[in-house]
Amino acid sequence: MNGPYGPGGPPYGPSHVPRPQFGPPMYGPPPPGYGPPQPYGPRPQPPVHFSQGVHRLHMATAVINAVGVVVIAFVLGGYSLLVTQTSGGIALILTPQVIARFLIVMLPVSGVAVAVGFWTWWSLKFWIAGDDLVVETGILRRRNRRIPLSHIQAVDVVRPLVSRLFGLAEVRVELAGGDQAETKFRYLGRPMGEQLRAELLARAAGLPGHTPEAPERPYWRVGFGALLSSQLMKLPVIGALLLFVGLLVFGFTFGELGVLAAALPVLLGLARGVIAPLVMHTNFTAALSPDGLRLRYGLMETRMQTVPPGRVQAVRVVEPLLWRGNGWARIDVTVAGYVGDRQALSSVLLPVAPRHVAIQMVSLVFPGTNAEAVPLLPAPRSWLAPFGMGEAGTDDAVFVTRRGRVCRRLDVIAHARAQSVRLTAGPLQRLLGLGTVHIDAPPGPVQVAAENRELGEARAIVESAAGRADRARATDISTERWAR
Amino acid sequence: MPPGSPSILPPGAPPLPQRGPLPPPPAPSGPSGPSPVPIGGRAEQAFDPPSGMAWARVSPRLTWHRRIAVLLWALPITVIGAFVLSRTIGLPGGLIWLAVVLVACAMSWIVAELSYRSWGFAERADDLLVTHGFFVRHLVVVPYGRMQYVDVTAGLLEQWLGVATVRLHTAAAATDARIPGLPARDAAILRDRLAQKGEARSIGL
Repeated sequence: MNGPYGPGGPPYGPSHVPRPQFGPPMYGPPPPGYGPPQPYGPRPQPPVHFSQGVHRLHMATAVINAVGVVVIAFVLGGYSLLVTQTSGGIALILTPQVIARFLIVMLPVSGVAVAVGFWTWWSLKFWIAGDDLVVETGILRRRNRRIPLSHIQAVDVVRPLVSRLFGLAEVRVELAGGDQAETKFRYLGRPMGEQLRAELLARAAGLPGHTPEAPERPYWRVGFGALLSSQLMKLPVIGALLLFVGLLVFGFTFGELGVLAAALPVLLGLARGVIAPLVMHTNFTAALSPDGLRLRYGLMETRMQTVPPGRVQAVRVVEPLLWRGNGWARIDVTVAGYVGDRQALSSVLLPVAPRHVAIQMVSLVFPGTNAEAVPLLPAPRSWLAPFGMGEAGTDDAVFVTRRGRVCRRLDVIAHARAQSVRLTAGPLQRLLGLGTVHIDAPPGPVQVAAENRELGEARAIVESAAGRADRARATDISTERWAR
Repeated sequence: MPPGSPSILPPGAPPLPQRGPLPPPPAPSGPSGPSPVPIGGRAEQAFDPPSGMAWARVSPRLTWHRRIAVLLWALPITVIGAFVLSRTIGLPGGLIWLAVVLVACAMSWIVAELSYRSWGFAERADDLLVTHGFFVRHLVVVPYGRMQYVDVTAGLLEQWLGVATVRLHTAAAATDARIPGLPARDAAILRDRLAQKGEARSIGL
């Protein structure tokens, strides 16, 4: 198999990747819990063929939904039936009368919850028909949705903590366009979920559906130590830590405990800024396979993300000031399917890695390019951007900009992925004869713009970018059915 | 501004004379291999039409659309503001308010004309160019193959004036390629032509 992400040495740079100075070995044992399925191990069920027959979610979904409704009903009103108002306050006195009162209300509620749970479970059916994934919901009022497999932008297998206990998984199929363009299968049995993922991707690639899951090559693994220190080594985090410690010290030495009220939001901010990404990206591994990049991560909620070739719209290599001493970098990415909340959750391609690995990753995402080798030209110095080091450059495949003195950012977008090219010039910019060139990508964290270029040069950039985009699209390997 | 000029040139028609003769715009750099950003062109030509073409202009009724819209906004603002101010501060307050609104209206009266003149578009073989903006100038290049869909909208006021807005949607929200103030019939023709070109060159993301 030699897909766009296929095996073979890295296109640029040394033929082997030097081992990192930190973290566990790159090709260590697969992470626990989520490793590639063992096809030779004992597997009780025969493989499911989604193109034959009609399929439903895992039965436990009905139970989980029903339990969820019952719990909500209990929290909203059920518990108040159990407690009694006495002269001494509220007390829990379980007389037969109280229990009967409770059961009379909660039993019908539970019955309705179970019925609704089974009804929703029964009413969702899906199957693969030809080149489409068909999802049918509703029994009285049927809604039939056909999803062309070639439009799939990414397939995620998400396993929240609760569903992991039951051996379930949620499969999310991302399509381009809008918040409604996501299809969720919540929940499938784990083997079935992974088979669905493999079959969707295989069919989207133009292979027969019962192709075994594409082999994968581990590419990078982020150790916990590296992840923790990378999250701590950020200027805002260190500032917040200092502020927090300072507030505590001040509060206790001067006995002004009111200060602690100010320390609490700082602590919450720290938890949000450090612990949340830490928990989310624990056990981060990136692997390459013919059906795309596979990312696995998460402590509480494990995710397996598969981004097929050509679905990455733009990438950004971020190097915060304090990381540069260690030569670390992070990669953010825009994938067309992820909108809204999911975007923030799924916008990181590598949370932390040595810079050369990150750059190599960029050339894997945009095959046949080397973002580092593109010659960059600085924007003219002006008082609009006195500290700016905005640089931009292009070759036939990618458009690259670099900016930021403190937090250095390298933005890369392939000409073949550009949606449109814009030139804007505000009144101040025009006074100085400057303009900004935007290479538009679908909404996402990475938006590429060459800021404050000389106007004449900017127009030349626009024309050349438009021309290159034309040629790149003409010669672009088709992003549909990439394995054919 | 040629008043009442046809707002859409059929492809291949001779370009309309535009604001006096201009030197030829910068030649787009050819395929130059992995070269740095090409330098060339002059600042004052940055928003010129592509070489050998002229901007197709929109209908002058766009100016009147803006002006009427401003007036419709200004009337209630004037009445309510003047009433409140003359009650609280007295007659001078109301008069000052009136003067402020009048000046603002006069400014937008002029800006409406300038903004109308800034609109232009050109259909090239593979992409559509749209330029607009008086204070902040914009130039958008949208390849036909990237268009997801094209729609024509016309508000009440626009319908009354017989104009419509053609809007191009790509997968990027930032694209914002719209052409307001086209005569309704021309807008429909343009939409159909763009959709046709998009269909012919359509590709995935």
